[in-house]
Amino acid sequence: MTTTKKTQFAQAMEQHKGIIYKIVNSYCQNKDDRQDLAQEILTTMWLAYDNYNNAYKFSTWMYRISLNVAISYYRKDSRREDKANEECIVKIADLSQEGESNEVVKQLYEFIGQLDKLNKAIMLLYLESESYESIANSLGISKTNVATRISRIKHTLKLQFETRDS
Amino acid sequence: MNLDNFKSAWQQQSTDTHSAIEINQAKLAEIKINKQIKALNKMKWARIIESVVFLIIIVLLWKYIAAGFTFSAPIISGFVLNLFAIIGLAGNIGQIVLISNIDYSKPVNQLQKDFYRVCSHKLELTKLLLMSVPFYLAYVFIGFDLLFGIDLYQYLELHMIWFYSLSSVLLFIATAWVFAKLNYKNISEKWVNASVQFIVGKRLVTMAEFLNSSELIES
Repeated sequence: MTTTKKTQFAQAMEQHKGIIYKIVNSYCQNKDDRQDLAQEILTTMWLAYDNYNNAYKFSTWMYRISLNVAISYYRKDSRREDKANEECIVKIADLSQEGESNEVVKQLYEFIGQLDKLNKAIMLLYLESESYESIANSLGISKTNVATRISRIKHTLKLQFETRDS
Repeated sequence: MNLDNFKSAWQQQSTDTHSAIEINQAKLAEIKINKQIKALNKMKWARIIESVVFLIIIVLLWKYIAAGFTFSAPIISGFVLNLFAIIGLAGNIGQIVLISNIDYSKPVNQLQKDFYRVCSHKLELTKLLLMSVPFYLAYVFIGFDLLFGIDLYQYLELHMIWFYSLSSVLLFIATAWVFAKLNYKNISEKWVNASVQFIVGKRLVTMAEFLNSSELIES
């Protein structure tokens, strides 16, 4: 990778690192897994950046790669002693340490955590205001499938809030 | 509360959490490979080694066929086993190509299907071995010929030939059924789930469940 490309990548990552934060917090329950997954997403992005096509929006491309890494992420043992190197590349703050202003977001993460892997991806893209068509393209499923799932997710969420309020 | 009401809070998070994630760009630039790619490379090398083994089996079987080419049971057995070895080799080459073409920017469902095919290699090998079970006599005929120089078929009585033929047909029906059933589309069936987990492991079951659930609404 040329120096210019490296700089471009660094800028793009700084700008869009929130995507990594949202994905790791949605797909991983414990801190070590979140750290490990963030490292995997970041390094996969780095290794794939040479093939990035400017015709696509960077955030869409980043979401697609990050979701693919998150969904295929598999760790046999979370207690493995392989963290020395990774901690230097990416550091993620604990979600519980975030301020009270993020109460709504915390509730959302709690809800997303209960969904299956595909619905998590749909939910993440939907919350980013992606169109049904864009979600369908990123996930490789039909628009009808996306619409049906979003409608079910909305219904489940509504029920959960009603139960909580009562 | 509606899901749409959460959107602004969610998107606002990008600015709020800017400091919650720190990236060490200098360290990142040193990275040449990561865990997932390392695992894929390991799989590719394993497939290459297996391909060499299959190739050796094919060459040895052709040498065996060429050395005693007649219309006999051991030679026909040689052809049958050769066919399975060729299918195995072709499958392995397909795997090597598939691993080399893994692209993380593909749509999620497509990449997960590719991953499933890569990770289900052990399952496919087991299925291939399973499909050779109805032809178990091929191993026996070749074994007798190689060890004792005897064409066992010549010594079999007619009722034994009928017994072995019938048992092979029944085994073929049973193994073909199992072969077709051991697919991610049937992962919700208990015995399929348990078999896949036993042969390959929990990871493939999770992948199969993901693919199955993503296609459930489509069908």
